[in-house]
Amino acid sequence: MVDSQFDKVRRSTTPLQLDVVEAFARGRLSRREFIQRATILGLSTGAIGAVIAACGGSTASGTAAASKAPGTSAAASAPASAAASVPAVAGGTIRVASQRPVSIDPIAMQDLGGYGITAQCFEFLCTLDTAGSNIAPGLALKWTPNADGTVWTFNLRQGVMWHDGTPFTSADVVATMERLVAAGNAGLKGILGPGGAVATDANTVTFTLLGGNGNFPYLVSVFNAQTLITPKAYVAGTTLDKMPAGTGAWKLVTYNQATGATFARNDAWWGGKTPLDTTEYIFFDATGPMVTAYQGSQVDAIVQFDVLSGKSLLTDAGFNVIATEAALHRQIWMRTDTGQFKDKRVRQALALTFDRPALIQQLFQGKAQLGNDHVIWQGYPYYDSSVPQRAQDIEKAKGLLAAANVSNLTATLHAGQLLEIPDLAVLLKSQAAKAGITLNVAVESLDTFYGAQWCPAKPADPPCSGAAELGIVDYGHRATPDVYLNAALKTKGIWNSSQYSSPDFDAAFKQFQTSVGVDAQKAACTKIETVLNDETPIGLAYFYNYLGGSSKTFSGVYTSALGQMFLSATSKVA
Amino acid sequence: MARYISRRLLLSLVTLWLLATIVFIIANVLPNDVGRTILGPFASQETVDALNARLGTDRPILVRYADSMLSLATLDFGESFITGKPVLPDLLAAAARSAKLAGLALLLTIPVAIIAGLFAARRRDRPSDRAVVLLGVTSSSIPEFVTGTILVVVVGVQFQLLPVLATPPPNADIPTQIRYLLMPATAMAIVYFGYIARMTRAGAIDVLQSDYTRTATMKGLTTSQVMRRHVLRNALIPTVAVIAVQIGYLFGGIIAVEKIFNYNGMGQTMLFAAQRKDIPTLTAGAIIIGIVYMLATLTSDLIIAWMNPRIRLDAGK
Repeated sequence: MVDSQFDKVRRSTTPLQLDVVEAFARGRLSRREFIQRATILGLSTGAIGAVIAACGGSTASGTAAASKAPGTSAAASAPASAAASVPAVAGGTIRVASQRPVSIDPIAMQDLGGYGITAQCFEFLCTLDTAGSNIAPGLALKWTPNADGTVWTFNLRQGVMWHDGTPFTSADVVATMERLVAAGNAGLKGILGPGGAVATDANTVTFTLLGGNGNFPYLVSVFNAQTLITPKAYVAGTTLDKMPAGTGAWKLVTYNQATGATFARNDAWWGGKTPLDTTEYIFFDATGPMVTAYQGSQVDAIVQFDVLSGKSLLTDAGFNVIATEAALHRQIWMRTDTGQFKDKRVRQALALTFDRPALIQQLFQGKAQLGNDHVIWQGYPYYDSSVPQRAQDIEKAKGLLAAANVSNLTATLHAGQLLEIPDLAVLLKSQAAKAGITLNVAVESLDTFYGAQWCPAKPADPPCSGAAELGIVDYGHRATPDVYLNAALKTKGIWNSSQYSSPDFDAAFKQFQTSVGVDAQKAACTKIETVLNDETPIGLAYFYNYLGGSSKTFSGVYTSALGQMFLSATSKVA
Repeated sequence: MARYISRRLLLSLVTLWLLATIVFIIANVLPNDVGRTILGPFASQETVDALNARLGTDRPILVRYADSMLSLATLDFGESFITGKPVLPDLLAAAARSAKLAGLALLLTIPVAIIAGLFAARRRDRPSDRAVVLLGVTSSSIPEFVTGTILVVVVGVQFQLLPVLATPPPNADIPTQIRYLLMPATAMAIVYFGYIARMTRAGAIDVLQSDYTRTATMKGLTTSQVMRRHVLRNALIPTVAVIAVQIGYLFGGIIAVEKIFNYNGMGQTMLFAAQRKDIPTLTAGAIIIGIVYMLATLTSDLIIAWMNPRIRLDAGK
């Protein structure tokens, strides 16, 4: 029975989907990786469950795993009932503390505050699963790639209405994509060109990409925040408050950038009736007042907070912390072309002084994952854990420095005044001192740091060639590592502050970009991880969690790592 | 008097022009890239250049200055570099919020401080006078953000008697608005109590020692008649001047208080604009605060002139 279902799945899949199924069946992918990759490639919940069951996973656990995974029928059919297991009270309002949006123009916005507000009304083709970790069907119910990942077909959800009662169709998706391509959306640049999205019928859109891409659904998902689907008639540059619209669970009622926004339930939402009647967003410019507002019972949820300002929330028995694992990280760049870190042994030595577990504990109270001096985060489906983890080894660091004929190494570590970065710099200084490396910490305003130390505008060619010898720069969450690899590490990358130039790395990155199958992507990533870990143009000690949360008087709140809080399944606990 | 007022108004215009010029110089003279600041460090140089061209910030500084002054002269404050919307409506809304907070703070502090100052002056060097002076010095030496934080922790979080956020819900009635503003206004009032009480006390002591007060007392007037007819009017002249300056200061926004209580008044709005190099908002905001300062000091001068005939006569000349 199980085998016959498995065979049925194999027969009905596209070559790329089959590649993932075979990789799992042969043990080359873990169950988690399989679920993640199969979802990206548009494999249905039933198919995922059948494959897991056929490959030795118990039906129950397989189903449970699949139900947590994006693309499952549970996630697809009834988002508003996701919190059904908790006794709930119908009705009410949740008050959410959010950072003040700079812009709520769904196409041009660039801040987490704007992402959070617009995502209450507009929706993505691929939304976030209720576990908060991966994509799930949103306005698209199903997506399928062709054999080489150059053409993706998205089948849209039927019966979806815009807030004004007009039906949502493929024409809205095509118009949105054209606007995004014209605006130069960072995630789609070089992936989708003008005319690349075509409406095959009222409920189907075909994307013909500029090249093969195995991660395309990520780029039209919650992880590429500007790809919210807007109505065909929407004009680029219009803000949500000027043209309130959307297909989502909430309708914008009031918006005031100075104070906040209110939303009312969209009774015609395809996901069903939301338990709450209304939601209220209160805007803040800093995390500290958000925390006191929660403690003073004036807000019920906080979209994002950092460990330093929100330490008390981590131990608050009444607060449910949502710690979303994310690719958020800091890169400690070292100039590879000139200066004291030109020899890779010196760079390795500095990286060997990092006491990573201690950094994670002291800076994030454990809410982070180990970094291994490369940008392939553990959450990426192509991450290879077989590359040995670098750990603190002071003797080895001293040995490498001696081998490189370096003694009394003294350098200035530049750090911007941002969140935990100054503290990280101080901790790195004390850890490096154990190997005889003297780091002088220079904490600078962000203007000075970015303008004079990280990537000064001049000299412009190659980019960042005016960067300081050593510094710490912040990187946000990305659904795929392309931006980190392309901008920060590729030869002449626009944010390549270490001036790293490696034919091996460039070749591995090219291989990663053009590969679509499981084995090819993973092989490319193994190479990338190995090369970066060995050549160490950057130190990368941790990937830290995105922190948000809500009072335990509410259930069913979940967030992305990009400031979007999902409240359609939220209800007051009885 | 009319001539005096016209002259003051003319001088005010010159002052506003100087103010706008200073703000323009501060915002533009330091090396900065408006496009880069707005778009952030990760934006491409082409995008930054395009934004600078669109905003006009790549033009020569004198052209921008002339343009800026011309706009101000025609009361066109321009559009925000960040939101693209006209700056005036948002600034006026912020100004209204600041006015409410400053108004409540002054309402709380002025009567209490004046009464305390007069009370202390009449009991000079007695324990009650010492107590008022000590209270005044203590209250004015604790910064608003310390008082505000203590109030938030104790009154807002611990006992939950008052809201820790100062922004009331939309369409809140006046009592609700006052309830929301009470804690930040109290934090501000505590600081200004000290200034005003000590100023009133000093003024009252001077007047109480003057010959005309002694004469009035010897004429057989009662203490309350002496206080009301002779002391109060003259003793309060320096206090009025101090209050006028404080109005402008309070209105300009006590950023720390606004931050603690998450109140988006002029202080936070201006800080937000400064951090993002939103020069139109910054310039217009400075002008609005300047106008409030002018009006407050002009009003105080008129009140002082009304209170003191000698000043009135000088003004007439």
